Amino acid sequence: MRVPTSLLFDQNIRAIANNQSGLIQTQEQLSTGKRINNPSDDPVGAAQVIRLTESIDKLTQFQRNNDLLQGSLEQQEVVLSGITNALQRARVLAVQSGSGILSQEDREAIASEVEQIRNEVFDLLNSQNANGEYIFSGYQSGTQAYEFNPASSNPFEFLGDAGTNSVRLSDSVEVRSSISGFEVFENTLARFDIDITGSTGTANLTDNTIVQQNTFDGFFERTYDAVTPANNDFQIEILASGDVQVTNQGTGAVLATRPFTSGQPFSFNGIQFTLEGAVGDTVDFSLQAPRKRNVAETLHDLTNALNNGASSGADFRSAISDALVGIDNGVADIAQEISSIGGRLNTAQSIYETNLDLDIVNREIRSNIEDTDYAEASAEFARQETALQAVLTTFPQISNLSLFNFI
Amino acid sequence: MPSTITTDLFNIATSGVNASNQLLQTTSSNIANVNTEGYVRERTSFVSQLGGGVGRGTTARVIDQFAQNQLRRDTTTVGEWEVYENKINAIDNILASEANSLASGLSNMFAAIQTAADDPSSVVSREVVLGEARQFLSQIGNISGFLEREEDELNLQFNDSIEQANSLIEAIGTLNKAIVVAEGNNPDVEPGALLNQRDLAINQLASLLSIEIRDGAGVGNTINVSLSSGESLVLDDGSFNLLALGSSADLTTQELQLTTSFENKNNTVINVREDNLGGSIGGLFRFRDEVLGVAQRDIGQLAVAFGDAINSQNRLGLDLDQQLGGDIFALPEFTGLPFDGTSGDLTVNGRFTAGEGINVTDADIKITVTSVDASVPPQPDEITIEFLEGNGDPKLDESGNPVIFTGVTVGAGFTDIEGGIDIGFDTTESYAVDNEFLLQPTKFAGSDIALATNRPEDLAFALPIRVTPDVDNFGDLKVTATRVTNTTVGTGTDRSAFDGTGDIDDVASSPSATLGAPAQIVFDSSSQFTVFDSAGNTITVVTGISDYQNLLAQAQASGAGPAWPAAFSSLEDYPGYDVSLEGEPAAGDSFTFEYNTNGLDDNRNAILLAQLQEEGLVQLSSQSDNQTRTLHEAYSSLVGAVGSESANADITLQAAEALKAESSEWLNSVSGVSLDEEAANLIRFQQSYSAAARILSTAQTLFDTLLSAVR
Repeated sequence: MRVPTSLLFDQNIRAIANNQSGLIQTQEQLSTGKRINNPSDDPVGAAQVIRLTESIDKLTQFQRNNDLLQGSLEQQEVVLSGITNALQRARVLAVQSGSGILSQEDREAIASEVEQIRNEVFDLLNSQNANGEYIFSGYQSGTQAYEFNPASSNPFEFLGDAGTNSVRLSDSVEVRSSISGFEVFENTLARFDIDITGSTGTANLTDNTIVQQNTFDGFFERTYDAVTPANNDFQIEILASGDVQVTNQGTGAVLATRPFTSGQPFSFNGIQFTLEGAVGDTVDFSLQAPRKRNVAETLHDLTNALNNGASSGADFRSAISDALVGIDNGVADIAQEISSIGGRLNTAQSIYETNLDLDIVNREIRSNIEDTDYAEASAEFARQETALQAVLTTFPQISNLSLFNFI
Repeated sequence: MPSTITTDLFNIATSGVNASNQLLQTTSSNIANVNTEGYVRERTSFVSQLGGGVGRGTTARVIDQFAQNQLRRDTTTVGEWEVYENKINAIDNILASEANSLASGLSNMFAAIQTAADDPSSVVSREVVLGEARQFLSQIGNISGFLEREEDELNLQFNDSIEQANSLIEAIGTLNKAIVVAEGNNPDVEPGALLNQRDLAINQLASLLSIEIRDGAGVGNTINVSLSSGESLVLDDGSFNLLALGSSADLTTQELQLTTSFENKNNTVINVREDNLGGSIGGLFRFRDEVLGVAQRDIGQLAVAFGDAINSQNRLGLDLDQQLGGDIFALPEFTGLPFDGTSGDLTVNGRFTAGEGINVTDADIKITVTSVDASVPPQPDEITIEFLEGNGDPKLDESGNPVIFTGVTVGAGFTDIEGGIDIGFDTTESYAVDNEFLLQPTKFAGSDIALATNRPEDLAFALPIRVTPDVDNFGDLKVTATRVTNTTVGTGTDRSAFDGTGDIDDVASSPSATLGAPAQIVFDSSSQFTVFDSAGNTITVVTGISDYQNLLAQAQASGAGPAWPAAFSSLEDYPGYDVSLEGEPAAGDSFTFEYNTNGLDDNRNAILLAQLQEEGLVQLSSQSDNQTRTLHEAYSSLVGAVGSESANADITLQAAEALKAESSEWLNSVSGVSLDEEAANLIRFQQSYSAAARILSTAQTLFDTLLSAVR
């Protein structure tokens, strides 16, 4: 082939330029540590990197959420445990005060201790988190959760709401992060009880005590009808056969027949009645509508009962029963929430681990896509360097060869 | 009988010396032009003369027509891809830059929302959300602004290139004429310099546009130059047509035109197809139509989809001022541009339909008025909508048909039309049938989207409704989800039960004359519930329920005695909230809906805002049945598309350059000057010159011998 002079130069200059641009690209990969410096370096990879980075960023945020969640759950657990401990002490005192040998002074001493516990519980109910928000107020965290009005029938009034917040721990898992005073404290049932609503004839009910609260509770839950109040009314009638009969006044159903001796107690579903009367006499009683009483109020009621020396023995016993049942119900509700917190902490922990694994995997995949393989890139660099060197060395030699040098 | 020997020798010697001289001239000229661009080496050839000596030499260029044509075509390809690659690399680079990555901007924004959701009442973390939003807008504005500047630059480049092409066209025409004249003056000598100049001009023109060359029909070595699509540029008589730029509705979108300059005919302006122009002008058009316009609109579409999604969700919430949420982003408004033939005074105003960001496409929209009403001045009442690509070609659906909606009725004020936009006509102007307008909803949306508020309190992280179980509930039903779907305040058909003054409708403010909005649900048994308003009036009773999901929806569907009020069901979405419960109700359990007054620590809407990150918000193309993509997916597919176009351009350019190098080598190997060859020739012709001169001296000696012999 005929080789014109320009070809010699053009070809070599092109070779140098090509080698240089290749070298610069490899050098960029080596210096940035990234194989993909522009989307055009690997369009599919670049798009994948964007999506992987999104996942990694999200995981980072999920882990941050997780940390915050665990922190606030632990705080809630501490507060709830504090309330439980206080209630346990109050329970011991309630049991102790039921003892008949205590004088009024002794009871008042216990009362002042219970009052202290009540104040402690009140304080804990208005716990605030690091941001100064009331943790039991629901959505209205700027509002104090409980307010104390001694004269009110609900002396510890709940001012919050039932709202709870959730936190996202992964794309699919949301976990409740807050606690609602409404669910934990306001839902605590007071002791179920009955009211004596009337009697006929010479009937004289000398005693009606719930001696087996559990049995009565079962009866209550089966029977209580919130829609038709008449179904909650019952009548005890002394029959000619020498028995007493308990009838549901709403449905007319005969619920029980017991042998009856005037002045001797008989039991009906955990309630012990002692009735004096003649055949045909009746006594009416009805189920009290279920009431909810938060633990602070239960303690408040206990304090009042202990301080009130004038109350009758039966009233006092019933007040102690109310306190014991109220405390037990309250502790049960709190325990339920504590175990739910534990469950959520476990969930959070296991999602944390999963996210950590995912994060590592994503980072690894991203690194495989976008990071420079140093061994490969260095080898490539050396190869390109050699090629460039070869051109640079041979070019002057060839270009020096001219016939004009010899004539 | 020949004349004397010496006379012949003298003639022969003279012709030899002349010939060698001519050869030396040609060689020297070749050597002198070794670095002249476009120079084709020349050779002088001779024929021997009858009766001895050498004849008159003819000097011609050594050239291979095929190599020349091949090089010209390769130059066109390189010209196209060089400019295309250069341009697309700039976009590739800006998308690669970490600082401008919309993906990280989006991630940061949503991460900030989640952090704020952890403590919804904190103004500081709300401020961070707005800060990230601002940052994201500045990123999207940067990219969008960069693309706009690219378009401006592109238009300047169009002007320059067209001017350059025109001057080359003119030069080729002039050279055509000059060559005819030169050849007439001196038929033996090819006008090599003129031919080289013309070839050079043709090659330069070929790098701007794809052209075809044909030999002229008339006398002389003339040529015709035409565009590959057939339009003539230079005629063999030296006359020529010039290129010009024009534009349709969008003045910033240039179109190529050809102005004829016939001498005896009527001249006209022809529109030239831009998609197969080739050369660097073709490369610029290709870049604009395939990359720049698409990227601009995709970025705009992303911005609108994002802004509208956040706005819509925020409107469903309750902000820190305990008001119903408003817009966080102000979506841009746009004006329809009149096409040629439609008066420039007429306008169409466009805006994005609130809540329909998901339907916004990257298409430009052409509106043709097909009917006007009888009012004065006449207003359009029916239009045809056509979806267009950025370059004005129709968008095609999956079966390859243009996306056109005919017979779309429009009314006074703004009308919601296809493509997630509202349009409105100017009531003070008279419109006529066949008025045409071009709307470019997304082209500048990336630059024009702005924050609608600077107050962190306006972020609505709470929901405006809360459902509270009655404290005396005996069952264990729990609220699992409260849904808010509509918070529109007002009296239209789109109204919700929110009265805008911090409460839900009572009897007086509700659409019904006798009932307020649902405010309480009471279970009569585990399979029956009654819905009451806030005054305790019964709205409806639902019996035979099997689950406790979306109770108000169930009430609307199957409530009886009384049925769900017609005044409610005639509205689009009333009351606009609902609740789902879980557990087992006891008879008498009740749940109350109330306005979330003081609900500062509620993060339900913040979680919903954060979830937008995973939702499909961006329409894939103009087809309504198409799948949607998340914001990140939309952005990454844009980056991937530009990246692959750019990678493709790199490879094509390399291939074209290799081909051009190849054909240039081919042409050079024939036509290039080799100094070694010329050096050898120099010696050869020097020797032949000496030899011819020797003949002269021999003749002289012979003559002298002869003279001395007779002396």
